[in-house]
Amino acid sequence: MDAFSMGLVAAMGALATVAGASEDIESDIGSQSNPNSQVQLAAQVGNPHRIYNKAISGEPPANALWAATAAIVAYMLITAFQMPAFSALVIGASVAALFNGVFSMSSYFGRNASQARFNQWIYLDIVRYTTPSIMAHAWITSFCIATISYIMAYMLPTPHPFPMPIIALIWGLAVGAIGSSVGDIHYGGEREFQNRAFGCGLNTMLSGNIVRKAEAGLRNSVDNAWFCTKFGGPATGMGFGLTVFLDNWRSTVFDPVTQAPYAIAMGIFFIIVMTLYANYVEKSARRKYGPYPEYKGDVAA
Amino acid sequence: MNFDINTIVYLLEIIVGGLLVGIGVHFVPVGGAPAAMAQATGIGTGTVQLAAGSGLTGLLAAGLMMSVTDNIWVILASGAVGAGIMIDATMLTGSWIYAYAVGAPFASAKVTYDPITGWSQPPYISPGTVGQGIPTICFVSGTIGGMMGGLGGAMIYYPLYLINGNAALSAMFAIGIFLVNAVLASWNIQGTIEGFHDPKFKKWPFAFRACAVASVLLAIAAVMITGGA
Repeated sequence: MDAFSMGLVAAMGALATVAGASEDIESDIGSQSNPNSQVQLAAQVGNPHRIYNKAISGEPPANALWAATAAIVAYMLITAFQMPAFSALVIGASVAALFNGVFSMSSYFGRNASQARFNQWIYLDIVRYTTPSIMAHAWITSFCIATISYIMAYMLPTPHPFPMPIIALIWGLAVGAIGSSVGDIHYGGEREFQNRAFGCGLNTMLSGNIVRKAEAGLRNSVDNAWFCTKFGGPATGMGFGLTVFLDNWRSTVFDPVTQAPYAIAMGIFFIIVMTLYANYVEKSARRKYGPYPEYKGDVAA
Repeated sequence: MNFDINTIVYLLEIIVGGLLVGIGVHFVPVGGAPAAMAQATGIGTGTVQLAAGSGLTGLLAAGLMMSVTDNIWVILASGAVGAGIMIDATMLTGSWIYAYAVGAPFASAKVTYDPITGWSQPPYISPGTVGQGIPTICFVSGTIGGMMGGLGGAMIYYPLYLINGNAALSAMFAIGIFLVNAVLASWNIQGTIEGFHDPKFKKWPFAFRACAVASVLLAIAAVMITGGA
């Protein structure tokens, strides 16, 4: 291992952190993935709203599509036209963002038009100023992931055998899975339902009863992005950054040819540490919040 | 292609890999959309998505290892550990959100006491929900599931790469076989499960049979197509 490859791994970790954060915020602005079920339901239970409603697909396949599109375009420009890598990655990410814009807008129009019978309107101003924000975040995500794939395929001391688009596809799936498992909870579990008592899960009776009013005026998706940027986005970035950094760190510090068992042992060490830390988080949450006062059962807390 | 004893070994490896993926999915604690609203225990996403995210991260690690060594144990372990790191990082950061943003203690609705920590669960279940967060038992179960997925992905990739020597082709086939088995298992658990302590986990033999049939067919196709290319 030399200083240059360590720097590359650090850069990959940083890029992954940014990619994770922007991925989550993109899905929050567009209201994609799991919390979208409540946005979809809101109009049906009599709460028409001004929140962007795009559920193109689950986040992992969607992000795999953006990242792989960016990587394929960049790969084609680099190999067929000898374009400098940086410009090629920028153009690739721009193409992915355009795809994202087309899917987002058709999804918004389609979903809201199908809810016309529930008095849900299509707001053209929402489409005009929210879609570019979604596309911008998709651009950041796909640029970062395509760059990570480029570093893994061409620059690390042990180049990855998979071609760049397949690496981007897999990291796109991973970032979508993390964004949907981590950041979405902040949006779905907290931001959409700030009208209920803090510290409880969503009571099934409140399904669809999302918050529709903002600090001033009516709440829209850009307000949601403002809120989720404070914790959900960074936590998602941390999750994806940890995945990319720890996974590549152990195989860069320990040479995979001669020290493979050390690399594996280091991975197992990381897994044990994370398990213990999660147990600590659970313990501290139980200690700080205590049992629910409404509980009437006979099992002691 | 030449059909010999090696081909049978390759077929068996792919089938075992597919079965590992199928069973591994049963361990991953996924609560689907309700978990994203802190309405159900587990990770707030879909089964296949999380299994694919972690298992394929393991495939990346295994692919890297396979480019420098042909020791099967190192490759398989690398795949399992890569997947384990991904799923643990996901569950850990997800736990931060449940604990510090939603502000809810973690609780499983399927057991009265957590089998690992011994902590009571019902008093901590938010009213009107079926648990929330990722308790230790779910975390451990998820780690096992993710690692089984990574192991399975690596076990599918290994023989394919030996047959055709083309990393890209083998990776695409491995991703395909992985997803088929993950989807079959996901139907078996009907979208949500808490882990190996969940009563739904007992349904795994159904998925085992379905995944075995699917893996046999896919293994034959994969070995023939990639081998004949």
